[in-house]
Amino acid sequence: MRVLVAVPALNEAAVIGQVLDSIQTVHALADVVIVDDGSRDATASIARAHGAHVVSHAINLGVGAAMGTAFKYATRHGYDAVIQFDGDGQHRPEYIASLIKALDHADIVVGSRFADGGTFKSSAARRGVQRLISWVTSAYARTRITDATSGFRIAGPRALEVFAEHYPVEWLGDTVESIVLATRQGLTVREIPVVMNERAGGAPSQSIFRATLYTGRILLILGLAGIRSVPPQLRARRAHASREVTA
Amino acid sequence: MTPQILAIVMAVILLIAVILLLRSYVLPEKYAVIWLVASVAAIVLSAWPGLLDAVSGFFGIAQPINLLFVGAFFVILLLLMQISLELARTRDELRKVVQKLALEIEQVRRTDDD
Repeated sequence: MRVLVAVPALNEAAVIGQVLDSIQTVHALADVVIVDDGSRDATASIARAHGAHVVSHAINLGVGAAMGTAFKYATRHGYDAVIQFDGDGQHRPEYIASLIKALDHADIVVGSRFADGGTFKSSAARRGVQRLISWVTSAYARTRITDATSGFRIAGPRALEVFAEHYPVEWLGDTVESIVLATRQGLTVREIPVVMNERAGGAPSQSIFRATLYTGRILLILGLAGIRSVPPQLRARRAHASREVTA
Repeated sequence: MTPQILAIVMAVILLIAVILLLRSYVLPEKYAVIWLVASVAAIVLSAWPGLLDAVSGFFGIAQPINLLFVGAFFVILLLLMQISLELARTRDELRKVVQKLALEIEQVRRTDDD
């Protein structure tokens, strides 16, 4: 199976070199793509100098759109699966192999900080919010998801086909909405426990105001996902597929 | 049919239209929030006219309908402002994308010529 490691990155010049060095210990950089989401610093040139492929957005479109680009890149270059690996140093490459292995039993595998009673330290309020989001997402996915907002995940061949057509682009919504969308398309999601680092770069969303906005936003997206049907691109894909079957 | 029922029906039609647009991915959720809030507010105000009277009384407005007009006018101004800002941002992004594309195409031509 050909696996692409996709690293969405925005202004990560300070850490992207280290991140690529760490990935290189387990995965060939020829099969790594950095999706530079309109960085204003040297992120793209540093990544290119390290030997990874770089796709640069002309303007900042958000993590969801960056992953959308990565999925299109993957289908264009004949990959079977895509791993999302954040460019800020939060994710650890030693779990890449576990993600690939767990793909035998699911279409999407999410690396969870909380499965197995993970020890990721955070405030009580933050844990409560995470629990609420996880609970709603689990109800949609009909399986236990403890870390719905985790960006450390792999999409297998069937998921890749769906995500190359449509990947949620709304701010903060990509992680949770993609799980709901995938479930709607009949794909299976499962979790494996992982340990994550503290963020090495980038600004964490710490203020109360931002945290409230973040939670409200995700719950709104989850609520809307309940009334939404299938995105037009995927509807066309399905109609096409069924025509092929009857023909 | 009383005017109140007419108002409720119109507000409900607005809400259904918003939900259908959302459902079919035509209306992005970024803009959906304000339309959902506006249509729910319209339903509440038409179903419960006493609320408008009470709020008008609080502000000392003699004709409650004036409060509705002023409020609706203000909301529409805010929506227009939002659209203007979005349009400005979109034009700016479009310019950046076209410039980048032009430079990239020139780069490709140059390497092809070599």
